[in-house]
Amino acid sequence: VLDPRLTTLAELLCRYSLDVKAGELVLVEGPALAQPLMLELVKTITDLGAHPMVRPRLERVDALFMERASRAQLEAVTRLDELEVELPSKHLVVWANANTRYLSSAPSQNLAIRSAAFRSLFDRSLERIAKGEAGWCGTCFPCHAAAQDAGMSLAEWEDFVFAAGHLGDPDPIAFWRQQSARQAAIAERLGAVRELRMVADGTDLTVDVGGRLWMNADGRENFPDGEVYTSPVETATRGHVSFSFDAPYNGRDVSGVRLWFEDGRVVREEAGRGADYLTEMLDQDAGARYLGEVAFGLNDEIQTATRDTLFDEKIGGTFHVALGMAFPAAGGSNSSGLHWDMVCDLRDGGEVYGDGELVARDGRFL
Amino acid sequence: VIDPRVQRLAEVVAGHSLSLGEGDLVLIQGPALAEPLLAELTRAALECGAVPRVRVSLDGIDAAFLSRASDEQLAWLPPFAIEEMDAIAARVSVHGAWNTRELSAIDPGRLAIRQASVRPVTDRFMQRSAAGDLRWCVTAFPCEAFAQESDMSLDAYERFVFAAGWLDLPDPVAAWREFSVRLEALCDVLSRVRTLRVLAPDTDLTLSVADRTWVASKGERNFPDGEVFTGPVETQTAGDVRFSFPAVIGGREVEDVRLRFEGGRVVRSEAAAGQDYLRRMLALDDGSTVLGEFAIGTNYAIDRFTKHVLFDEKIGGTCHMALGAGYPDTGSLNTSALHWDMVCDLRDGGEIHADGEPIYRDGRFLPGFFAQPLDPPNPGPGPGSGS
Repeated sequence: VLDPRLTTLAELLCRYSLDVKAGELVLVEGPALAQPLMLELVKTITDLGAHPMVRPRLERVDALFMERASRAQLEAVTRLDELEVELPSKHLVVWANANTRYLSSAPSQNLAIRSAAFRSLFDRSLERIAKGEAGWCGTCFPCHAAAQDAGMSLAEWEDFVFAAGHLGDPDPIAFWRQQSARQAAIAERLGAVRELRMVADGTDLTVDVGGRLWMNADGRENFPDGEVYTSPVETATRGHVSFSFDAPYNGRDVSGVRLWFEDGRVVREEAGRGADYLTEMLDQDAGARYLGEVAFGLNDEIQTATRDTLFDEKIGGTFHVALGMAFPAAGGSNSSGLHWDMVCDLRDGGEVYGDGELVARDGRFL
Repeated sequence: VIDPRVQRLAEVVAGHSLSLGEGDLVLIQGPALAEPLLAELTRAALECGAVPRVRVSLDGIDAAFLSRASDEQLAWLPPFAIEEMDAIAARVSVHGAWNTRELSAIDPGRLAIRQASVRPVTDRFMQRSAAGDLRWCVTAFPCEAFAQESDMSLDAYERFVFAAGWLDLPDPVAAWREFSVRLEALCDVLSRVRTLRVLAPDTDLTLSVADRTWVASKGERNFPDGEVFTGPVETQTAGDVRFSFPAVIGGREVEDVRLRFEGGRVVRSEAAAGQDYLRRMLALDDGSTVLGEFAIGTNYAIDRFTKHVLFDEKIGGTCHMALGAGYPDTGSLNTSALHWDMVCDLRDGGEIHADGEPIYRDGRFLPGFFAQPLDPPNPGPGPGSGS
């Protein structure tokens, strides 16, 4: 039986997030198990007069590739891959997993080779988005694996996911327009700040955001959404940060991460779990030890960590940073195959200072 | 748990059918329900040094698009389709379905628009294939819908499919290679024949195959495989034929088809069920009443009709002929939008005569004409047969 919230989600993604227009080629990518959402998306895209192009993936196939491919096979970027980046006007990625650990048997070196080889395509994709040639959105299809990671039943997880997107509201699109206006005000306030300092238990981190643009993440590029973010000045980050929440990446469990920065670069890293993997990822290329993003989570429907970055980074009252790839649209220039978000709670006594002045306390902007 | 027969199927397709090599970009396409085979094909392709890309189809997506799209959307050719066709070195298409009647509610007119729009892509495919630039293979993954269509349980159908590919043998690739040599030898013998006459209940059909080329289907473009085929001379077919098995095309069945040919063309057609559809197809275009193909099924591990042409046309002891388009590499000149295979059982009293001499009886070539065995080798005590 079709969950009507999936139909609402498909409508919202096409009409609000991606603003699909007649005649556009719309790429829908995601695991085959997200078929119920993909089917609703194809219906909406077709009804809007656009051309759906569905590219389902199978985890077992992807895992096998990552485990068994040779270096040459990992590095092969084919014309088929290029066309998927060059042609679509809109690109929707559906996130879901049969098993969030599906890549855990793949040598992490293989993942790094692969992401390095596909860097130029990834950059090209960002360039098309920045130039307005293509729109992009990533969304969540609630599935058992993510529910399990979040410690919930599938039914609870579905309720959580759909509530985070306000899909039960009578008019979800109206809600997101209001949220967008609220976030725009915060982005404007932050836009006047040069030096941003976050202080919390185990954290005293200073970033320079002077001249950078704060982006309003209002459900257009991620859904659900709710954050403002920018890319900090690459060489200015200093201090240290202790991430309150687990920082899973590519299906790997990494938790208790602490980072120390000097002149923008991570000079020391620690993790309670996954320390070796953390170091390996940070050593993958020249940009991986620099911040590509600093952001504040502003979705008040999301209150607890779920070990799913899409949600955790939006928890109302948190901030997060990402190691690696920066956003050119925000003025960032750091380039890397890595983009690893890590989230830090500010709700219990955390403070944020803008050029020395207190701008947020306990995760609330003043 | 991986069924070892799925693994062997993938190995045969990658190694024998497609001869994948270093750096070959191979497109692996099939429905999500065929995941075990798609995964094993990926593994086998990687082991050959090839670069696999997997295209998965999902339940209901095509039907949703085809039922809702405007004519303009249906006619739209994706800008990447031809370039993709040019980029790949090989392609394997895995057949499988959730429901073989999934498109039954779609207006055939809409399907026709769609088919016409992708014509430039299929044309390019045929060009590259004919030029030897593109290797391809069609295979099938045993699924519930196909089992149901065959009146079998899934377990029994799996045994049927894997047996048809001789995948219970310890080294199926070697067996297919040996079989290929024998099929080529059979084609050599057949190429000396000028006139064939097929005799079976209600069937007495004469065809000219003079100066036409016989092609051995030896497990490359189809897997499982096993047939020899040619394109009969367009103007010479004469007599009557009654097809023992329902003629299945596009999810439709036409039962007990009887055709009379004169001067190469169908002059009378009858069917116990689906006669209107049969006549509509025959009226499709100028080439649709002419035979484009005549073939003899030589896979004796396929012993029953299952309503899937990949298997049916290879049943050892049958012949089939296709109304409509012929294959240029056989010398056939017939063109049509139709290519409809119909199968005639020769195992129970059927005969084929070549230039007046009997060469085939009760589903077997007579030793005086062709003495080499065509049966697959016995599985013996190799890896488990899964039964």
